[in-house]
Amino acid sequence: MSRHAMNKPALNRFLVLAAVLGLAAFSNNPYVINLLVVCGLYALPAIGLSLLMGYTGQISLGQSAFVGVGAYGSVLLAQHLQLDPWYSLALATALSAFTAWSLGWLVFRLKGHHLAMATLAIALILHTVLVEWRSMTGGPDGISAIDPISIAGHALLDDLHFLPLAWLVCYAGLCLADYLVRSPFGLAMRTVSENEAVARSLGIDAAQVKRKVMALSGAYAGLGGALYAHWIGYISPEPFSVAFSIKLLLIVALGGVSGVWNVLFGVFIVVIVSEWLKPLGRLDVVIYGLLLIVVMIYCREGAVAALAGLYRKLPQRLRPGARASLKLQGRTSA
Amino acid sequence: MNMTSTMLKVEGVSVRFGGLQALSEVGFDIRQGEILGLIGPNGAGKSTLLNVISGFVRPDRGSVHFDGELLTGRPPEFVNRAGLVRTFQAAEVLAGMTVVENVMAAGVARLGEGVAGGLARFVRAGQSMAALYRMACEKLELVGLAALADQPAQMLTAGQQRLLAAARALGTEARLLILDEPAAGLTNDEKMMLAAAIRRIRAAGVTVMFVEHDLAFVSSLAERLVVLDHGTVIAKGETRAVSRDPQVLAAYLGETDLVVARGRAGAAASAAPLLKLERVAVRYGALHALGGIDLEVRAGEIVTLIGANGAGKSSTLKAISGLCKLAGGAIVFDGKPLHGLAAERRIAAGIALAPEGRQLFPMLTVRDNLMIGRFSHIRAAGFGNLFRPGAAAAREVEAAMREVLDFFPRLAERIDQQAGTLSGGEGQMVAIGRALMSRPKLLMLDEPSFGLAPRVTREILELLPRLAERGIAVLLVEQNAHAALQVADRGYVLANGAIVAHGSGEELLQSSHVGEAYLGWQHEDETAEVAA
Repeated sequence: MSRHAMNKPALNRFLVLAAVLGLAAFSNNPYVINLLVVCGLYALPAIGLSLLMGYTGQISLGQSAFVGVGAYGSVLLAQHLQLDPWYSLALATALSAFTAWSLGWLVFRLKGHHLAMATLAIALILHTVLVEWRSMTGGPDGISAIDPISIAGHALLDDLHFLPLAWLVCYAGLCLADYLVRSPFGLAMRTVSENEAVARSLGIDAAQVKRKVMALSGAYAGLGGALYAHWIGYISPEPFSVAFSIKLLLIVALGGVSGVWNVLFGVFIVVIVSEWLKPLGRLDVVIYGLLLIVVMIYCREGAVAALAGLYRKLPQRLRPGARASLKLQGRTSA
Repeated sequence: MNMTSTMLKVEGVSVRFGGLQALSEVGFDIRQGEILGLIGPNGAGKSTLLNVISGFVRPDRGSVHFDGELLTGRPPEFVNRAGLVRTFQAAEVLAGMTVVENVMAAGVARLGEGVAGGLARFVRAGQSMAALYRMACEKLELVGLAALADQPAQMLTAGQQRLLAAARALGTEARLLILDEPAAGLTNDEKMMLAAAIRRIRAAGVTVMFVEHDLAFVSSLAERLVVLDHGTVIAKGETRAVSRDPQVLAAYLGETDLVVARGRAGAAASAAPLLKLERVAVRYGALHALGGIDLEVRAGEIVTLIGANGAGKSSTLKAISGLCKLAGGAIVFDGKPLHGLAAERRIAAGIALAPEGRQLFPMLTVRDNLMIGRFSHIRAAGFGNLFRPGAAAAREVEAAMREVLDFFPRLAERIDQQAGTLSGGEGQMVAIGRALMSRPKLLMLDEPSFGLAPRVTREILELLPRLAERGIAVLLVEQNAHAALQVADRGYVLANGAIVAHGSGEELLQSSHVGEAYLGWQHEDETAEVAA
């Protein structure tokens, strides 16, 4: 049935992405390659949050917890059950999705600020558990000597080898999310986002839609966390604190809701800004918070849309009648 | 016995919200293939009834059966999948989507395709979307919006949004369509388009029930009527018979008789107007709420503004109190134009509003609720006064409080009670008292009788002449026109955002304008006589 299994924009994006990554690999600059791996791994939980927040309208400050569940879950499963990282990766992703789905039952009784508070609590609780449950998680020292992922007996130890895997997974994640938001279920998500009462009056079970998307965002977060753990080889509770949730929120806010692919824009900005802010240590959260406020106030549609708006202002006079503003993102060319 | 079969059966439905009996023992049927109108004055319980039928509110007692299936206690999404769909008062189009996407969203639940189907678009989702698109275009064709399919939904006019809401409802393939005030705020042309669309929908085999205030629209469209008042069904049957029912007329115009002991203020008539509206226009997005009205209120005078729901009464009050922008015209108060003056400054200038629905702070005591009415004056006396009012400010607060409690002795007894625990009438006294705390020159009351029993309404309205005697100008917006005109010196009748009549209270009580503005029944008397 799939005459256009890969439609044209998707192919173009794949080629652009491959070209950028190829160039970086050729440059052989370890710093750049390292940053690109980080970008790919940040992107996964961000895609999940974009589905949940951007398309379904449900805020979550708890994504760092699901990333943590994925990372620790995969590592502990691999070590205790002697599983190959590939299997532990899959199991941890499922575990994270299940955790998110179960928590969805609890937190989606709430809306707006209350939902934000409840999901914030999830992130705080998981971080505390990771620090305090020393016998299992190793406490603040974390777990080291994590097995790397290997393909055909070849361990992906250095960044250059891990880069294609990270971005292949990321690309697949983006494509799937893109398909989802253009599908009937994507319409249901957007309806729930705009008006729950209307959604329910149209037979859409809003509570169920929210839980499903929450589970999916948990899966994205868990997969990102698990890949991260096997890449870096050492995990501690620190990266899975609330600060990471706020970074993810900023990524999605920067990217905006006008397309899953825009998440990448937010990821690049935040990863680069993170590098600049390294000298500040833990104070970087303050800067992320400020940035988030600025983005939320001045570009509610996301920085991409804001920039596109600025760009459009100039040539509009030159091209009267250009219907660039009609974004028919959810519709196939029927 | 009627040949047509019953589609929806509502039996003995009762709903109580706190102290308010919203519905009591409501029962009626909807027959297959008919167009049924549900009417009743503001606060009669129509919206609650719709919410019960569509599953948003669970009734305390009673049942709703649809095609023999019990719907009571089922969630809205279940009710919809059973084949019943409702729209919302504000149309509630999904503004972030295109017109066609709005309707496509309605087909999703029936498609039964979940996350897995969406993720694996390679397989089928493309076809599902194409099918949804075709379905949506059919429904848009039915209401006459097909040409706008790919426009963003927020670009539609108010009338088109109502049509879109109807098309979206049809997208669920429901067999019973329930429209909540589909014609509210529409122009006459738009109403005609809407009526035509509803007839086409019925011709396509869908049974229609609608709630509406515009009785001209209702009588031209509905075959049968159900009339609600104070939560009970006061009449039901063929439209023509119901529209002549004196009980229905009384429900709309009110029948509260007041004892007003007051010499009509002859002196006031010659005084210069305290408030003067000149060609005032108000617009909400695509909706024209007021189309340029002139109005005057003099000191010590009670002026009432009456008209059907959506006629523009509340918008007039909002324009005066600065809660909405003028699209045209000017307002002069106490010799000075109000243009550009923020709402809180207008209170300081002497304009106070007791808003519709009272809007008290239920957790605060009566005393604190009243004190809030003085806030802008305390603030104006200097920022420090907010922490500890200075001697002068404190004295003024005390004086104002004494005045209000003199006026409403019952509030003095309940001064430390939480406002949320008061009865409706006492709550209205707090709302008026709070407005009086700013010692206004002009007191505006928005539907003070809303949700009150007739006896309490009388009690509240009979207080107004005593306020006027103190030199306060009162501008009263009231659903209960009969009572309002008895207490008022002068009255204005609003219809569709324009003033259609004005005169003294007695004149308007006798005139037919009021009945027309409220009811506007379209009687075809000749045919009625032939039939009789």
